[in-house]
Formats: sequence, C-alpha cells, structure tokens
Amino acid sequence: MEKLRKFIIKRGEILTTVLAVIFAFMVIAVLLLSTGRNPVEAFGYFIRGAFGDMFNFANTISRVVPLLIAAVAFIIGAKASVFNIGIEGQLLLGALTSAVVGWAFDLPKAIHLPLTLLTGALAGGLYALIPAWLKIYRKVNEILSTIMLNYPAFFFCHYIVLNVTPLEGVIPATPFVKESAKFINLVPGTRLHAGVIVAIFVVIVAYILLQKTTLGYEMRAVGLNQEAARFHGIPVEKRMMLAFFLSGCLAGLAGAVEMAGVHYRYLDQFSPGYGYDSITVAMVGLLNPFGAIFSAILFGALKTGILDMAVYTEIPRQLVTLINGIVVLLISMKGILQEKLNQLTKGKESVSQKEEVA
Amino acid sequence: MDISFMEILKSVFTLSLGYATVRICISIVFASIGEMITERSGVLNMGVEGIMLMGAFTAAVVTHFTGNPWIGLLSAGLVGMLIGVIFAFMAITVKSDQAISGLAIYLLGVGLSGFLLQIFFKHGGNTPRVETLPIMHFKVLENIPIINEIFNDQSILMVPALLLPIILYIIIYKTPWGTWLRAAGENPKSLAVVGKDPIIIRYVAVIMGAFLAGIGGAYLSISQTSLFSEKMVNGRGFIALSAVIFGNVKPGGVFAAAMFFSFMDALQYSLQTVIPDQYFPREVFMVLPYIITLLILAGFLKQSKGPADITNPYEKESR
Repeated sequence: MEKLRKFIIKRGEILTTVLAVIFAFMVIAVLLLSTGRNPVEAFGYFIRGAFGDMFNFANTISRVVPLLIAAVAFIIGAKASVFNIGIEGQLLLGALTSAVVGWAFDLPKAIHLPLTLLTGALAGGLYALIPAWLKIYRKVNEILSTIMLNYPAFFFCHYIVLNVTPLEGVIPATPFVKESAKFINLVPGTRLHAGVIVAIFVVIVAYILLQKTTLGYEMRAVGLNQEAARFHGIPVEKRMMLAFFLSGCLAGLAGAVEMAGVHYRYLDQFSPGYGYDSITVAMVGLLNPFGAIFSAILFGALKTGILDMAVYTEIPRQLVTLINGIVVLLISMKGILQEKLNQLTKGKESVSQKEEVA
Repeated sequence: MDISFMEILKSVFTLSLGYATVRICISIVFASIGEMITERSGVLNMGVEGIMLMGAFTAAVVTHFTGNPWIGLLSAGLVGMLIGVIFAFMAITVKSDQAISGLAIYLLGVGLSGFLLQIFFKHGGNTPRVETLPIMHFKVLENIPIINEIFNDQSILMVPALLLPIILYIIIYKTPWGTWLRAAGENPKSLAVVGKDPIIIRYVAVIMGAFLAGIGGAYLSISQTSLFSEKMVNGRGFIALSAVIFGNVKPGGVFAAAMFFSFMDALQYSLQTVIPDQYFPREVFMVLPYIITLLILAGFLKQSKGPADITNPYEKESR
C-alpha cells in the first residue's frame, strides 16, 4: 500500500493520462458493442493492420513521422504556455512552400532537399508570428486566433494550387518536385521514407533545447510562472515569441517532410488533420518530446490500423477523430482527477499543504 | 474579360442576393446568438462548430427514421443541450481550460457525427434525402416589392431567427434574469452577494447557447438542404464565434455581424456565376470573416469590450 501510494504520487501524471486513454478506448468499445460490433475482433484487425507485417508496420511509422514532428511543435509552444492550435494551417503552408521550392529550383540534392525543408519550416514559423504578435502585444487569446488562422492558410493554399501553379491532370496539386527534393524511400512499396530520421532528430534537439540549455530553461520558466520569470530577469515576451516561432517552424517542417517523403507535391487537402491530431499526441505524451514518440506511435497505428479495421469490420475511419475528442476532453479534466487521486492517497496532508502554498 | 464592370454589378446585386443572404444567415444567427448568451455569462464556448455538426446530424437522422422534421429539429436541440451540459460541467464545475474544452467539443462533434454517419448509412459521405421543414409563404408580403423577394418563401425557421435578437435584447436588458446573466459575466461575486448562484446562471446560459447551436445545425440539414453530409457545417461555427466578437456581444450587433458575413458569402457565390473562375479569388471572400475578427481582436477596427470575467472560472469564497 505504501509503495502504491508513493508510485501514485510520483507518477500520478502518467497514471491519469494512461487512465484517460484507456477510458477513451472503453467508450469506443461500448459504442461498438451498442452498434452490434465486436470490439475484441475490431482490436485484432487494428493490431494486424498497424503492426501485422513489415509493410503495415512501415506504413504505420510513415504516419508517425508528421504526427511526431507536429506534436513536438505543440510541445515547444505549450512549455512556454503558448497553445498553438494553428499547427494545421502552418503545416499546410510549410508543405506548399516546400513543394514550390522543390519544383521551381534545380539544385544538387545535398542543397536542394535541405533548402526545401528549411523554406517549408520558415513559412510555418513566419505564419506563427501573427498569433504570437497578437498574443503578446494585443492580449488576444492564441487558441482563438490560431484556430481562426487555420482557415486563411487552407484557402490560400487552395487558391495557389488552383490558380497560380500549373495543374498537371485533374487532381488539384502542384507539379511534382525534382528528384533532388525527395526523401529516399526506405521500404519499397510502402510510404516509409528517410524523413523518419528528421523526426528523431527533431525529438532529440527539442529535448536538449528544453532541458539542457538556458534558453529552454527560460522558456519553461515563462510557462510555469510568468511573473516569477519576469522577476528573475527573463525577457518573457521574447521567449514567448521564440516559442511560437519555433512551434510554427516545426509545424511547417512536418508539412514539408510529408510532402518530400510521401506525396512529392502539394496535394490539396492532403492532411487528414495532422495538426489537430498532434495536439492529442502531445498531450498524451505528457508534453515530453520522448513521451510523444510513444503516443505518436499509438495514434499513427490508429491511423493505419483503422484502414484494415474499416474494411473488415465496417468500423468507420472517423473513429480516430472521435478518440481524439474523447482523449482531449478527458485530459483537460485531468487536473481534477489528479487532485482527487492525491487526496485519496495523501489524505489530509495534501489539503494543508495546498493552503500553505496558497 | 469581355464583361463590363457595370454588367457585373447589375447581374450580381439583384434581389436574389438578398434572398440568399437571409437563407445563409439563419443558421449563423441561431449559433451566434446562442454563443452570445454563453459569453455574456462569462463562459467562452469554442466548440460551437462541433455542436452544430451534431445538431445537423441528429436532425437528419431522426427525420430519416421518423419522417417528421419537427421531431428531428427538437432532437437536434436536445442533443445540443446534452453537449452543453458536458461542456458546462467541464468549464464551470471542473474548471478546466475553456479553450481546450471547447477544442475537445469541436473534435468530438466532428468525430462522432462522421463516425455515426458511417455506422447508420454505410456508404458515401451523406445521409439519404430527408423531409424538410416547411417553407413559409406569406400572402400579405406579395404586394410589397423588395420585401417579398427577399423574405417570402424562406424556411419557417427564418421567423424565430429574425425575432431572436429582439427577444434576447428584451431578456438581457429588461428582465431580472438578464441582469443576473450580465452580472455573472461581469462580476460574479456581486451576484453571489445578492444570493444568486453564478454557477447556475452560467450553466443555464451555456445550455441555452448549445441548444441554439444545435438548432442552427439542424437548419442546415433539414431546411437549407435535405441531407447531412460529413463536415457540412464547414466553419460556420467559427464564423458564429467571429460574429459574436464583431457584434460586440450585443444582440443587435451580433445579428448585424451574422448578416454581414452571410451577405459576403452570398456575394461570393453570386460573383462566381458571372466571373470566370480564374479571374475571381473567391477565397478572399471566404477568409474575410476570420481576418475581420482578428483585426477587431487586435484592436484595429474598434475597441471590442466583452464581459469582464470571461473564461475565468468562478471560485466560491469559502471552501
């Protein structure tokens, strides 16, 4: 009992998150049961579809790549208490910009591919400066402004694809990029490409930045307590601006990597909501870049596994968005859950401690 | 281009543009007036889009199975209220971040409506065609030129949509409940002093707002069109949020803002028919509501002053 108590206190955050995810899946199971479908069978198809063989596994990992990079984008912002819900829009702009750079220039691969990715990242970062400025200097809630800015980004890309870049064929898309702007494919016949290396690199760099550098320390300090951070001489506004910019850059990079690795062009409406999914991935990953790897694999698996599941059990692919909604709902209530958990385990001392703090 | 500018103007600014504006505005008026009530009480519900989707979905499905669009409409309102209760519980009782809870409601609405659509009607991204609410034809209007063309033969829901801002004006400014509602949003502690519970007022306001959002969604699937298709609300929930901001959280202002955004949408459709696609950036019109809202929020267009206590959870004095 004593051990359990200590475990809950120490790992309470992980525990409540895992509980939230399990609860979400239970809700889904009940939903499936009530519509006359067998959740156990569905789960079997899901596992087989996501990890069953080399091809399915490679496809799952290819889905993990944009999710993971975009999730790290959300994490970098959230650590400095910047909630960037505009990842979807920044991701689209990043993909479009990189597609144009990849198509319009003819350069050696060693320059072309990095340039493609960098310009994509920059496009996302610059677009994120709008809500950053609105938040810092005009006190506009960034969740509201970033959600609204997703629409102009989408319509802008839509317009460019239809009216500015030449159309090849009937599908609304930019022309294919040059060979020198493509990631090599790792497993032929699947979508798995070398962009996975970029994703791992992003996770490591983000971790080092946040945990091992002064800059990261200051950004986290801003996220924990703005007033205290200001008191200690940290330039709060600058750090928030930087967090927003980096978050936007990574969102743009996620789009650029997906473009250069999977589609080789900007395909209108190519994103199945990666930007929104990344928020869930980041939250389930406890806002930790390495934690995000696990949750990105979970949600990437959901995205590929659901396809097999949809074919064999007639369970619609919209299930993924539904799970997202339930998980975000539960995690936003996590605070109270944890409080209750602490009260249960700590008894009265937690209450008195709280009063001391207050 | 061989069409002259005057010709374009003539063929665009017709009375049918007015008709289309009113037709488009009905769902946005319901949703934005609902959101206005919610925000007046000091709660920001960003999940309007999700609630509208569930409203539209419920209305079409229930109408499909019962054959009666009125039962469909009522069910949509009830489902809206149910989601309102969930959101209110999270935002008011649990005091979780309202923006994130709103996001959750949005995702839940998109996911659940899309998921259930596939469960009920296996193929394709939409329901079969369903019965629609009646179209109103007023004999008295026939002799009044312009009014007749714009307001006659609209959905029956036009009547409550046009009356809502007036009713809400009376409720908010002329009744005791309206005073409590405003107090809940401005200074909930003062409300507690006179013995009224701000929490209850906020619950009622959120549920009322969600009910109207559900009705606004239902209008889309059982009146403006006659089926539900995936993601059919298409950003109208966020336009409604914009209208509340643009309209300064006041009944008349919100209504005018909803009309303005609807007019822009109608104009965009109308321009598309006369100007060849490659010359006409319709996307400019579609992003206008968002750009205007951001400019207002940034304080460029006018000083927008919402309820003082918005998004702050109410804490009781003694614990």
